[in-house]
Amino acid sequence: MRICLRHIALVLIVLIPVIASAQPRVGDALIRNGTLLTVTKGTLENTDLLIRGGKIVAIGPNLTAPEGCRVIDATGKYVMPGIIDAHSHIALESINEMSNPVTPEIRMSDALNPLDIAIYRALAGGVTTIQTLHGSANAIGGQSVIMKLRYGSLDPAELLFEGAPRAVKFALGENPTRIHGTGHNIVPRTRMGVEFVIRSALTEAREYREKWDTYNEQKKQRGFRGAPPVYDDRLEVLAEVLRGNITIHCHSYRADEILMIMDVCRDFGIKKLVLQHANEGFKVAPEIADFGAMVSVFSDAWAYKFEVYYSTAYNAAILTRNGVVTSINSDDPGVIRQLYHEASKTLKYGGLSRDEALALITINPAKQLGIDNRVGSLEVGKDGDVAIFSEHPLSIYTVPSMTLVDGIVRFDREKDPDDMRLYVDPEERFDEAGFKAPDSYHDCLGTATETFSQLFESR
Amino acid sequence: MLRFVASRIISAVGALLVLTTTAAQERELAPVSDTYAIRNLTIIPAPGRRIEHGTIIIRNGLIDAVGENISIPPNAIILDGDSLYAYAAFIEGLSKTGVKSPDDDHGERVEDPGDPPLSKAGINPQRDVRDYLDPNDPMIKELRCAGFGASQVAPRGIFLPGSTAVILLGGETPDQMALRPHNACYSELTSNKTIYPSTVMAVLAKWRELYHQAELSRDYAALYATNASGLPRPETNRALEALYPVTLRQQPVLFRTAKMLDIQRVLSLQKELGFVLVLGDVSEGWDLIDKIKTSGASVFLSLNLPENPDEKKEPDDDDSLGNAELTALKARRSEFIQKMTTQAATFDSAGIKFGFSALDTKYSDLHKNLRNMVEAGLNPESALAALTINAADILGVADRLGTIEKGKIANVALFSKPMFDKDAKVMSIFVDGKLYTCTEKDGHKKKVSSPEGTWHLTADTPKEAVKLEVVLRRDPDKQYSGRITSTRMPEGIDLTNITFQGKTLKFMYDILLEGRPQDVIVEGEIEGKTFKGKITVGEYGNYPVEGIKDPER
Repeated sequence: MRICLRHIALVLIVLIPVIASAQPRVGDALIRNGTLLTVTKGTLENTDLLIRGGKIVAIGPNLTAPEGCRVIDATGKYVMPGIIDAHSHIALESINEMSNPVTPEIRMSDALNPLDIAIYRALAGGVTTIQTLHGSANAIGGQSVIMKLRYGSLDPAELLFEGAPRAVKFALGENPTRIHGTGHNIVPRTRMGVEFVIRSALTEAREYREKWDTYNEQKKQRGFRGAPPVYDDRLEVLAEVLRGNITIHCHSYRADEILMIMDVCRDFGIKKLVLQHANEGFKVAPEIADFGAMVSVFSDAWAYKFEVYYSTAYNAAILTRNGVVTSINSDDPGVIRQLYHEASKTLKYGGLSRDEALALITINPAKQLGIDNRVGSLEVGKDGDVAIFSEHPLSIYTVPSMTLVDGIVRFDREKDPDDMRLYVDPEERFDEAGFKAPDSYHDCLGTATETFSQLFESR
Repeated sequence: MLRFVASRIISAVGALLVLTTTAAQERELAPVSDTYAIRNLTIIPAPGRRIEHGTIIIRNGLIDAVGENISIPPNAIILDGDSLYAYAAFIEGLSKTGVKSPDDDHGERVEDPGDPPLSKAGINPQRDVRDYLDPNDPMIKELRCAGFGASQVAPRGIFLPGSTAVILLGGETPDQMALRPHNACYSELTSNKTIYPSTVMAVLAKWRELYHQAELSRDYAALYATNASGLPRPETNRALEALYPVTLRQQPVLFRTAKMLDIQRVLSLQKELGFVLVLGDVSEGWDLIDKIKTSGASVFLSLNLPENPDEKKEPDDDDSLGNAELTALKARRSEFIQKMTTQAATFDSAGIKFGFSALDTKYSDLHKNLRNMVEAGLNPESALAALTINAADILGVADRLGTIEKGKIANVALFSKPMFDKDAKVMSIFVDGKLYTCTEKDGHKKKVSSPEGTWHLTADTPKEAVKLEVVLRRDPDKQYSGRITSTRMPEGIDLTNITFQGKTLKFMYDILLEGRPQDVIVEGEIEGKTFKGKITVGEYGNYPVEGIKDPER
């Protein structure tokens, strides 16, 4: 019996795909005879889509596969652009640097974890690109990672979305006031405090930039002798926000705080603003449209704390009808696998068209992340990021069957082994039953505040 | 008692041992001569070389002569090495052997956790590990008797705890032991979990900022030094000043990077800033060979290997279950145990020069783990090179250590058998020309290690070194009982499930964390009066723990 089991074990080792080894970053594929939901160019039935070198090179009937090109039969299936989630916290080893209310110097890329199985699970929901952000503990949080779900690569740098614009997290309301005001007894304790913290930091950054500009100017003069200003990584990043080189993604719920952050941005000449969550965005949709901000919302999540009681499932539709570029996000490793269901709710709540609903999880989040020239629709010249579904993706009966990133199949329902972990713990024990969620899954506020100081305390 | 007489021949290994024990412990007198002749040895002066029936002459702490037909100086203490094997004493690349925790006050609350004092944040690169080195720490003896004559020791603490020193594992004072102080700027991606920088991403952000600040302040200090007239006086800053040699590539940064992701984090930091990098304690590096090669980093591979779970019978280990899922999970686990065990061989065949570090390794496992690596394909000569000349080379002491040759420091380990033989033992070892014995089979036979008594343990958590006091008793009916106390739990907690088998002591207690009960398991090995093992705190993970027992009255 023992020998028999060992043999099975050996066979299983061989069967596990060798995903960790060096892989080409881009691939070729011909997806044949599917119903193409291009999002930007309508629906094309019985159409082929050809990807070469990771890019869509042709869309049309009866395309021929080049030599050696993988052919995928999509007869009876639906082919859509890979889903984009503008708000996630997966693939991170830490989420919040909650010791300080202002931490834009933090780079989430430093915490990136390409081994996170949640990446593979998101692929199994047709997702190909995400923004994974700092949490909402701080009025000004860290810089996001915009990444492609190239699960299988061990190198965090290989997951980064090449050339994506920089983005930074801001957060208003109850989270920063609870963590810092209530938790650490420092500013901000109130919504006014949050505004003060943001305005102070931006003002300081403006002065910092001026100091360095002056110093750099003086240094050009011959024989100049003087001391450089103190280098400050935090203010360096905020100075880039002021220069318009970094987009603000602002966690916000209430209408008043949405108006507040838009006022702050106007005062500092900041134009690149995406409101995250914005449960009361529908109340100030014209004002948001007027500012030119974009909004990423939940389909129908609310009432998990006081500031999110006044909410509606019509939010996405109302914002869309007011001309606001709107997306639906997951903010969660479970919901990320069913963003197509989330988007479909807007057909009922607000009567969006199918293309409008699909845009909420494709081209619109792509615009919010500044990558719509590369992804978000099925168009010649764009990246070969494609999700294939058994039914129309907005149907409740649909099942994702295959997901391609840069023309490489990263999820295939037909070949979906039980154990897709890239690294395993060599001291793992199996005699302890139960599921242990990694810390990063609790929520975007984390739970690690006092953990360590309590480690050795008695009850 | 035996007396030392110049030129007197004391034959047989046993006599050799008695001789040193007598000298070192009973009379505490220096040997009558600092010249030794060890003859009739099998000498492995360097990997791949071998001298049968050779003699080593040690004089004034240095190796004076090595070879077959060496004339013995008249004042030498002659030791017969019949059947012994002499190797250059091993060199360990990263440990905290003999290093005490700094007396930082951890209890005091920081006013603004976002802007803590530098020392609290773990930004102490100006600290010198010699200030925390205890020459009498029993762990020094333990590492020495595993065949090691030198070690790079790092200060305890988080983030940037200070500079390392290459030390000889013998000597009366830290300065006497130090061979190369300030060898590297030591850093870990660890943090105080409640104050800035509290996460790995903040630690890296702060690293970059400190580096840029050090560059600017270094340049301005230089400008000011040439002509201060008319210039604002630069503030001194000990932390930044300690980083100047790093920014000038005059001092490497030694990072503790066990895990694959941490290694990559440090490699990209190095790529961005350009410092000279040494990776220490590497245990998951097999997929990063090319990246490490490109970076030019030196490497110390961890000597720690996962315990093979197949050696321990697990409750679910019942074959009759025939659970295919469990079998598959175990197969993957074995695959990764195998990857770790073959890591050194992988590095060796990729042509990367490496040494070994013992930071996370139980010293009693060092030889077993080395043997496992060799059995898994590591060329024994490469293993020996990693323990000797390669480590010496990476540490910049190859002119003084790493081989048995004339002119080098007399660090020589005498093994009972070839070192990779299963029951090979270190019988005695010369460090800095001084002879230390390592076996207990003499007239001063030690008592069998016992867990009873008062233990002072230190748990090395990422935040701080937590001091624990454990009192263990044994009832007349031979059941153990005990209690654990610390500054945070002065009233103490009763221990449960106390077991002591062979050398392994294990006990448990439970604490309440964030309202949820957590089991704490302490498990480790007792060697004489030292304890070394790990502490597992519920689902929070495990940390190294070690300590010593109060002397019995």
